[in-house]
Amino acid sequence: MMMRHLLSLTSFFLISMLSAGFSAAAGGQEELVAGLPSHEALRLGKQMYRQGILPSGESMRAFVQQDIEVDGTMFSCQSCHVRSGMGSKEGTVITPPTCGSWLYKPLVGAEMSARSQERVPARLDPPPFRSAYTDAGVSRAIRLGKDPDDRVLDYVMPRYVLSSREAEILVYYLKHLSAAASPGVDNTTIHFATVVGPDVSLEDRQAMIGPLEAHIRDHNSQSRPEEQRAKTGPFYKEEKFAPYRRYSLSVWELEGTAETWPQQLDAYFLKEPVFALLGGITTDEWAPIHDFSERNQIPSLFPLTDFPVIADSDWYTLYFSKGYYQEGEAAARFLRRAEAIPRDASVVQVFRGEPRGRALAEGFTATRGKMDLPAAEDLELPPDVEIDRFFWKSLLERHGEAVLVLWLGPEDLVSIGELVGFESRPPMVFLSSTMLDGAVLSLPEAVRQFTYLTKPGSFPEDEVRSRMATERWLQAKKLPITNFEIQAKMYFLGWTLSPMVKMMRDDFYRDYFFDIVDMMRDQYYAIAVYPRLSFGPGQRYASKGCYIVQVSGGAEPKLEKRSTWVIH
Amino acid sequence: MRTDSVNLGNVGVISILILAMGAFAAAENARFTRTVETLEIPDVTLVDQEGEMVNLRAMVLGDKPVYLEFVFATCTTICPILSAGFSSMQRKLGPKAHDVQLISITIDPEHDSPEVLAKYLLRYKAKPGWSFLTGTREDIDLVMKSFDAYVADKMSHRPLTFIHLRDKDQWVRLNGFAGSADLLKELHEASGE
Repeated sequence: MMMRHLLSLTSFFLISMLSAGFSAAAGGQEELVAGLPSHEALRLGKQMYRQGILPSGESMRAFVQQDIEVDGTMFSCQSCHVRSGMGSKEGTVITPPTCGSWLYKPLVGAEMSARSQERVPARLDPPPFRSAYTDAGVSRAIRLGKDPDDRVLDYVMPRYVLSSREAEILVYYLKHLSAAASPGVDNTTIHFATVVGPDVSLEDRQAMIGPLEAHIRDHNSQSRPEEQRAKTGPFYKEEKFAPYRRYSLSVWELEGTAETWPQQLDAYFLKEPVFALLGGITTDEWAPIHDFSERNQIPSLFPLTDFPVIADSDWYTLYFSKGYYQEGEAAARFLRRAEAIPRDASVVQVFRGEPRGRALAEGFTATRGKMDLPAAEDLELPPDVEIDRFFWKSLLERHGEAVLVLWLGPEDLVSIGELVGFESRPPMVFLSSTMLDGAVLSLPEAVRQFTYLTKPGSFPEDEVRSRMATERWLQAKKLPITNFEIQAKMYFLGWTLSPMVKMMRDDFYRDYFFDIVDMMRDQYYAIAVYPRLSFGPGQRYASKGCYIVQVSGGAEPKLEKRSTWVIH
Repeated sequence: MRTDSVNLGNVGVISILILAMGAFAAAENARFTRTVETLEIPDVTLVDQEGEMVNLRAMVLGDKPVYLEFVFATCTTICPILSAGFSSMQRKLGPKAHDVQLISITIDPEHDSPEVLAKYLLRYKAKPGWSFLTGTREDIDLVMKSFDAYVADKMSHRPLTFIHLRDKDQWVRLNGFAGSADLLKELHEASGE
């Protein structure tokens, strides 16, 4: 059965080769690929590569391990070969590059420049262990699992059931995948930028930029003679040394309202194409910068924002967390696990019509929806509504048995102690410690027993070692601690940057940069403000957790954990 | 700091030859090894794709043959193949699929919430009888260690499938990638047939 299938595929393969020949011979003004304009072939090829969907709209079909039939909805080429096509390594499984820049040349193990080739005696020149692919060869590998030297590829590589036309489209896409280095890198320098919003205080601006610039100074200071090694290092280390580049960091200052930011960002980018955005800070939503990154396919690494874009499939911005939204998520998950509260219990969310309260409420509402729990009743307060004893009385009269989720700031919670002065009191109350800021511990003792707070960062006493490492580094760089959270996050960003860039070697593709970041192991040592950051292909929020805490009783209150870092 | 990403073109000559040999495994070579082991399952409570708490020990020591794998939802290579194997097995078992308990346990519990697990199972066309479990990092680590499958970094994990032999405290460990026929063959022994 399998043999018949393979013979059938071989027929397709021959037809494919013939049709490819005709396409080339046709050679009109516009290149036609499988009878399609080249841009349309690229679009459909990308759809096949990334989503496993055929030009017809149906799922691609394949066999792995010889007898396991899979379709494109399960996994696609991108799953293993990653978005850039540069391949991956997972455990014992090596997935080689499948992009044009690697397929269409023989693999000899080490890439040497013409200068080095002259220096190396021919007798030491190793033979290629894999010949260069041709278009037909790539098609054969995809469909029949054989390399140009007629060796059988490992059976973890799916054997795809494709028509000649479909194969031609996919091969065309692979040929153009990561075919040219991304802008923002020249022979000496990788150019980065960081974005600063208009309302950011000078102190926070410096807290963000100071550590980044210090990291870049360190890199450029060349503790080893990197540039010298790049030029004259031994030939057998050329791959490692030659890609060295200095870093530059431009500061893109935004002005005016957020509606005007896209034009400003485009102007900056036109003037100076950068390879990636590092850090950055705004007091507003990050959406305009997020959209800019998506539109121009520019990686944006760890911006400082409490208002990230919440999206499942966007690619080009990696956030530390979901910000306020994530606190809302945690509250919803903790509430579901509360044994004393029925799942269909009434829940009321109270918040002001301002970004923080709305983001918290959105996270809470969306998460309850995902868990198939009844929606909470939202009470968005107009600015002129004062929260006093009468407000609480009225709220309890209407929702006496409801769980109260109060996404309010300290000025609105001055009278929260009144909640215990009536016939009934809510079974549980949720607050955001981020919104309360320094006022968390002044929560009235009377409500502490049934009040829970979201806390989206680690406890300082749990992170003594990483805090000390960060503080000493800041001290060594002569950066006074002005906003430790910002500085600790930028310390982490700089700490990860150089190893990530080195991993690219001289394959300076933006997508590859993020492919590498995605495969970074979980981090806890160098990040002082989260218990753990974790990564994975397509994961775009590195901190996944948020504690639920309570304020202890007594004259010297402190925060006590009531949940694990990640709540399911 | 360390990552496990690989630029194939940028490792040395020797290592690249080793990698190449791995990538071009001959068809005749064994694709997995099979051992039989006695395992002590920890008494931990995990969370399934519906958000329900489940006791792992009770789940695996039930009266059905059990297949168990360690995977995660955004895994690049190993997990898709393992899960495609489970999917294929359920499809081939047809109406008898629910007579076999398939268990996937995430090794990325920070990211893999019950909702993520449910979507993953949908992608693989899972039928009743296939559960995907998450939990606290501590509990997941404990479970991985009890199966001698622990890795500190999820990108370093191995392709492992465990099959519980009914009425025994023994498990078959398949280290590598088994095909659909291989998995079904194990079912006969696990069922005591």
